[in-house]
Amino acid sequence: MKNESTFIDVPAESSSAMKGKAPLIGVAKDHTTSGSGGYNRGLSIFDFLLRLAAIVAASVAAGTMFTSDETLPFFTQFLQFEAGYDDLPTFQFFVIAMSMVAGYIVLSLPISVVTIVRPLAAAPRLLLLVLDTAIMGLTMAAASSAAAISYVAHNGNQNTNWLPICQQFGDFCQKTSGAVVSSFVAVVFFMILVVLSGVALKRH
Amino acid sequence: MAKESTTIDIGEPSTVTKSTSHAVVDEKKKSFVTAAAGGGYKRGLTIFDFLLRLAAIGITIGASSVMFTAEETLPFFTQFLQFQAGYDDFPTFQFFVIAIAIVASYLVLSLPFSIVTIVRPLAVAPRLILLISDTVVLTLTTAAAAAAASIVYLAHNGNANTNWLPICQQFGDFCQTASTAVVAASISVVFFILLIVISAISLKRH
Repeated sequence: MKNESTFIDVPAESSSAMKGKAPLIGVAKDHTTSGSGGYNRGLSIFDFLLRLAAIVAASVAAGTMFTSDETLPFFTQFLQFEAGYDDLPTFQFFVIAMSMVAGYIVLSLPISVVTIVRPLAAAPRLLLLVLDTAIMGLTMAAASSAAAISYVAHNGNQNTNWLPICQQFGDFCQKTSGAVVSSFVAVVFFMILVVLSGVALKRH
Repeated sequence: MAKESTTIDIGEPSTVTKSTSHAVVDEKKKSFVTAAAGGGYKRGLTIFDFLLRLAAIGITIGASSVMFTAEETLPFFTQFLQFQAGYDDFPTFQFFVIAIAIVASYLVLSLPFSIVTIVRPLAVAPRLILLISDTVVLTLTTAAAAAAASIVYLAHNGNANTNWLPICQQFGDFCQTASTAVVAASISVVFFILLIVISAISLKRH
């Protein structure tokens, strides 16, 4: 171990100035107004707005299906003269699933606000992405199974002798079809939300 | 202007001093170091991703072909119902076969991207492409599986209010085969959710 001695001039007044000129080391991780943080914050705000829109879509779907009752003013000897969502188990599943989805989005709003406030935090975004993917699967399942039943109700099936009930229950069919369309819109919103979370995670 | 002079002992050679200072590490070196330390973790994830894709290919091809060959002809005549049942009697099952076949071919086409993420664990673009397209294909798979499931449920139970008779009473074999195909498609939905979560976790660790 060699001992070297040397003389170093430390000017008293300019030491603070020299300190001020030192390069920035150790970038703080949580500053919220850097370039990447601003972009992420924009993504989070768009995410929040999409969630609000998805709440509307999901609750409209559930509500329209729930209130789609129709009673015919006449009697026939074959078919029932009342139709409601609870006559078809698939529509019951649809109402329950869409209500759960709407409730989930309301509960995920605080987490979305956290990602706006802390744009560089990865854990809330990852949690939102995983939950959104699962809920998107549920929404799509409810939407497509109700769509399949609506299709049979509209067109019937010759091979199985399933009559198209929409000939009699036009109002009921219209409302259920509207509910199905609204839930597909909610699915599109969820897809965009998942992709947004993925893009925002990439930018860390 | 007062000048102060002081003596500083440089006890060790300067190269050793430089290597022990943590202060000046630029961003690229930092990320490289963390990637080298966590590289094993990520590579394990991508290998698992690749294996999941292979399993999902097998299951989706199985689901589509099982539904495609789900025919049954009854040995007797009845005056109400048709005595033949096949997947093309139900538009929903036709959609199921076509959609699951599309999903299976997408999975085959996505295998090269998965291999790229294994070979280059730090590449972000392939992972992001996989995440986006997996999300879209998850939606398609769920749609096909759920629609076919609702028709299978209807065929098993019928509906008293709409006078739709449960055809599975007559076509037991056909119903069983169709139900197997729907179950296989639902399993592939679970695989897709796992694939998306793996892609998200891999993206996060950059």
